[in-house]
Amino acid sequence: MYHRYFRLGFAACVAFAAALVVACGDLRSRTPAVADTAAAKTIGAVTLRDDFGDTLALRALPRRIVSLNPATTELFFALGAGDRLVGRTHFDLYPTAAQAVQDLGSAIPPNVESVLGVRPDLVLLYASESNREPAGRLHAAGVPTLTLRIDHIADFRRAVGILGRVVGDTARAAVVTDSVTATLERVRVATQGKPRLTAFWKAWDSPVIAIGGGSFLSELVDIAGGKNVYGDDPRPAFDVTIEDVVRRDPDVVFAGPESGERMRAAPAWRALRAVREGRILIVDTMLVGRPGVRLGEAAVSLARLLHPGSLP
Amino acid sequence: MTQRRRHVLLYLVLAAATVLAALAGLGIGPVRLTPVDVWNALGGRGDVTAVAIMRDIRAPRVVLAGLVGAALAMSGAALQGTMRNPLAEPYLLGVSGGAAVGAVLAVAGGAPFGLVPLGAFAGAVAAVMLVLAIARAGGRRPDPRVLLMAGVVVGAFANAVIMIALASAPADSVRNALWWMMGSVAGATWGQIGWFAAYGVLSAGALLLFAPEIDVLALGDDAAAGLGVNVDRAGRRAYVIASLLAAATVAAAGLVGFVGLVVPHLVRTRAGSRHRAVIGAAGLAGATLVILADLVARTLRAPSELPLGAVTALGGVPFFLFQLRRFK
Repeated sequence: MYHRYFRLGFAACVAFAAALVVACGDLRSRTPAVADTAAAKTIGAVTLRDDFGDTLALRALPRRIVSLNPATTELFFALGAGDRLVGRTHFDLYPTAAQAVQDLGSAIPPNVESVLGVRPDLVLLYASESNREPAGRLHAAGVPTLTLRIDHIADFRRAVGILGRVVGDTARAAVVTDSVTATLERVRVATQGKPRLTAFWKAWDSPVIAIGGGSFLSELVDIAGGKNVYGDDPRPAFDVTIEDVVRRDPDVVFAGPESGERMRAAPAWRALRAVREGRILIVDTMLVGRPGVRLGEAAVSLARLLHPGSLP
Repeated sequence: MTQRRRHVLLYLVLAAATVLAALAGLGIGPVRLTPVDVWNALGGRGDVTAVAIMRDIRAPRVVLAGLVGAALAMSGAALQGTMRNPLAEPYLLGVSGGAAVGAVLAVAGGAPFGLVPLGAFAGAVAAVMLVLAIARAGGRRPDPRVLLMAGVVVGAFANAVIMIALASAPADSVRNALWWMMGSVAGATWGQIGWFAAYGVLSAGALLLFAPEIDVLALGDDAAAGLGVNVDRAGRRAYVIASLLAAATVAAAGLVGFVGLVVPHLVRTRAGSRHRAVIGAAGLAGATLVILADLVARTLRAPSELPLGAVTALGGVPFFLFQLRRFK
């Protein structure tokens, strides 16, 4: 009687697992995102191709933007266009000013009617498979919709370039990219000579979800002088058994404050050397949880945890 | 062979199967351990990691899987006899629906994850009582068919409540509840096993004690009444004990489908018509099935796990079909 429901539930589990770190979606080949066409050369007009392959022609700079991805929401603020946002997801809490923007609930998938209700002239969606149908409905309703898959650090750089054109400030976009890139480079150099600690990143407790090589968090661990024990798996996040983690025997564990506390309390985790030796590194999930403008800051915080004293 | 000797043989075979399954469950996992390692680690000797793997990960899983499997199969065997219906099983009688409602309402109401099993148990108990109340509402003594229908109706109602709760609850708590309901013994701890074992032994003992009453009930209400059994009270008692036993399994491991329905049928052909023998044999077979299913669930899709309930059904259906063919 519950079987269909469970299958659905399982699909939802997988989807949410990924949404948790805003690192979800399968690894599809990335299409070149920005297509300069003749139309794009007319003043004020921009033509873009998004990650669902849809071409978007903006005749004027959008003034009423709905951003349904925490990473793009903070990016709009960094680009000085936060006042053009008329909608965000329930999880977009940074910067503080973003909390004044109307909360439109979840984003994978979004509530299309709520989105239409704020009369946007541009909607940004995360390019997850479950957003394909809502994106189509927004297009059909005549709302320009841009879907971007932001999983890796390279995706972030690409997104900054696109959003710079969307808000009409490519110079500021270049400054944002350069600043993040410079910080990441500084961290990489500072941890270069250090011994590389192997790390397990626990993103969820029940089921235990590990961050894999398909997530920007794995890249951040690398940059901060570590090595993700699940970095060989191309998925961004997936559930694992405790014993499989034990087999990979990481030097340290990254976890959020509550997640780390639960780990210390659970008898089964005592099988993990890192836990027995008290090497659970508590991360600020709000800071490192999304591939946004604070990627550099996130890398700094991880490097300080992995190699205390390596960075001022 | 006399019936007694046949039963002894059956019990020996089933117990051996359970022991072998448990040994496989202890010996196999992502970390390679030799039988000597396993033996030493169980005794607390040798590598600290190996000891922790055995004592805090594998052994609790095997024990909880065995207990849950035994409880579900015993509950199903008792219910099928009491209701005189081969389709009767704890999940069909409202237990799964009620437990799921309890679990989902607990998370939707913002309860910490540790309270979810308690919510599930409360929900299951409430559903069992509701089914009983509905079945008695007609005023006449509860007919097994009415009880079955009441179970299905309560299940449908529970489904509606779950969907509404899921649609309005925050995403990550929904994920917790859904995952939990798919069934797993991944989080097994000795503390949990302790209370479940205490509860399970009491309920299972009660079922075995009342098994002769179930034998009489299985003959039909009129025959049972003619033999001097208070049909109303005996039926209600068996139903409540069996359902509460299944409710506890939901609190311990989520929903592990199929075991309560099919395992009793698997053993009934060999254990005869006495419910004491059937219930006991079903317990051993259920334990074996769920221990093996958990082994498959945690190794087949490494490093991830499969939902335990899916594996029990995947493994149980072909076995059941084979049995059905032999029947003809």
